[in-house]
Amino acid sequence: MDQFDGKDIMEIMQEDLLRALKKPRKERRWAMAIDLKKCIGCHACTTGCMSENLTPPEIHYRPVKEEEIGEYPNTGMRFLPRPCFHCDSPTCTPVCPVTATYKRDDGLVVIDYKKCIGCRYCIVACPYGARSADSGHYFTGDFHEKTYEVENSGEYGGNFKRKSHWHSPIGNARKCHFCIHRVEKGELTRCTTTCLGNATFFGDINDPKALITKLISKPNVFRYKEELGTKPMVYYIT
Amino acid sequence: MKLFGVLIPEKEQLIGTVGDVIKGKAGLSLYASIFGLLIGLYAIGSIFIRGHAHTINTSSLVPWGLQISTYVYFALLSTGCTFVNFFGHVFFEKQYKPFASRIVFVGIITAVAAFFSLTTEMGHLERMYYFLLSPNPKSPMFWMAIWYTCYLIIITWEYVNIQTNRHSNRVMWAAFFIAVFTHSTLGSLLGSVSSRVYYYSALMPIYFLFIAFLTGCSLTTIIAAMTVKQKKLDENYHLHPFVTLLKVGLGLALLITFWRMMIGLSAHLEGSEVFSLTLINSVLFGIVVVIVIPYILLKIGQSANWLIFVGLFIMGTQLKARNDLVVGAFKIPVFRVYDMPEVVHYTPSIYENLVVVASASLVAMLYIVFERSGVFEARNIKEEH
Repeated sequence: MDQFDGKDIMEIMQEDLLRALKKPRKERRWAMAIDLKKCIGCHACTTGCMSENLTPPEIHYRPVKEEEIGEYPNTGMRFLPRPCFHCDSPTCTPVCPVTATYKRDDGLVVIDYKKCIGCRYCIVACPYGARSADSGHYFTGDFHEKTYEVENSGEYGGNFKRKSHWHSPIGNARKCHFCIHRVEKGELTRCTTTCLGNATFFGDINDPKALITKLISKPNVFRYKEELGTKPMVYYIT
Repeated sequence: MKLFGVLIPEKEQLIGTVGDVIKGKAGLSLYASIFGLLIGLYAIGSIFIRGHAHTINTSSLVPWGLQISTYVYFALLSTGCTFVNFFGHVFFEKQYKPFASRIVFVGIITAVAAFFSLTTEMGHLERMYYFLLSPNPKSPMFWMAIWYTCYLIIITWEYVNIQTNRHSNRVMWAAFFIAVFTHSTLGSLLGSVSSRVYYYSALMPIYFLFIAFLTGCSLTTIIAAMTVKQKKLDENYHLHPFVTLLKVGLGLALLITFWRMMIGLSAHLEGSEVFSLTLINSVLFGIVVVIVIPYILLKIGQSANWLIFVGLFIMGTQLKARNDLVVGAFKIPVFRVYDMPEVVHYTPSIYENLVVVASASLVAMLYIVFERSGVFEARNIKEEH
């Protein structure tokens, strides 16, 4: 069991989450930290995310990039999980012509599935490739019905069944939303709970007592493509 | 204001044209355009009924494909027509006048054809009303929609003025400036995307205007050459302005294409490899085939038939060039994982190609029907009296 100051980190994060939910939404700032030293590249987070959000083929909210580093004989593997970074200064929200994607007051960048016109401009604008176009493919083949693929994923707490290409989220842009449907019920994000190495941390960085706040205040932390000025809310610990 | 016979065909003339189509006397070009429109509509219907997954080859890696390229292409053709109308009226008034109504009319229908293609790319076209209910003034796409609406209104107004012999310089100037704003906004839609180095450039709005001028010149040259042949006008006198404008267009296109390529090649940013990856295509196709060869062709001859060929050559090559521009930005994935290729290749599906056919056929069919119904002659007959 992974511990921090003698306490199980999952328990700490759960307490942090419940404490954050007691605050008004605008006083929260959800963020994620991923410890790259602990990530073993098992893809449990990717798989957990897919089953949680019922994502179709070629849509991964949280893929894990695998890179070989160094030269023989001094080689190794590096794994970089990539959720949506929920940037503080996102490039995807200003381009949406109908305000279907926007930044909530708790810092989450979300998509209104009922409003998205499917122009894909946000997908083009995201520098991290974190957004995908749901064209309507199914794992189980074409035009399948009554399978888990057409069930309601519970994303954004809405009733979004992939019944046909007329029904959202087919035709929309899709991306990681920090499992907000779970978080608002007091459950940690699916990728946090499925991580075998306990490498993923989630919480409210406006809370000075939260575990994530303590972790990201160390010098061994970086944010991906920080030079772009997007201020990502996902921190990598090295 | 008289509508039939001035702005749209007389009922009798229109019935006559339809009758000719039924009797098999409508001519090959009209039948070809009707056939193109029908198979294009079949493809568009399939896209809407079967969905994107089963009909088009765009994906999360290549979010914009041939339909967006076609939209850009026709939008630029429309702008070009407005530019030629402006420069024609300002610098070559008498030589240009016989073609004015045709050119502005083609400007309108190419703008409509552009939207025709764009609609097939949208994931949820039925929600377009959110442009009004939930606008985002920060988005270049929102401004493009606003300007495009203004543009369609002003060029329709210009057409009405020309057809009713009440041409107004104010409206013409307004149409010119609104065209500049509209299509530079379209350029900014790509140019402001900082995550795609292939697009991200202050040159992009200017690039769009210069290319619009070239493509518009090529289309209007075809229209002018066909009209000259049909009405047996003096080729040298009436086609001279179009040849001059076409040469200017080629020069402007060379300037902007060359510098965009050179500046791109000098970049050391993530994604700028696209410029070196596409260098051979950019030089051999983007400059030699698209610009240098048409210039040489213009030097070889300037008869009406030859100019129709040169115009068609430029229009054909420009369609590929627009696709290269739109799709080029997606060649290198911004975050490569799993089995994503290092260089993404995109081939449009048959349905996507048929959307191009539908848009082109729509323009051709409407032009031929209006031409056969004598709408464009009405003004000239009036003038002679």
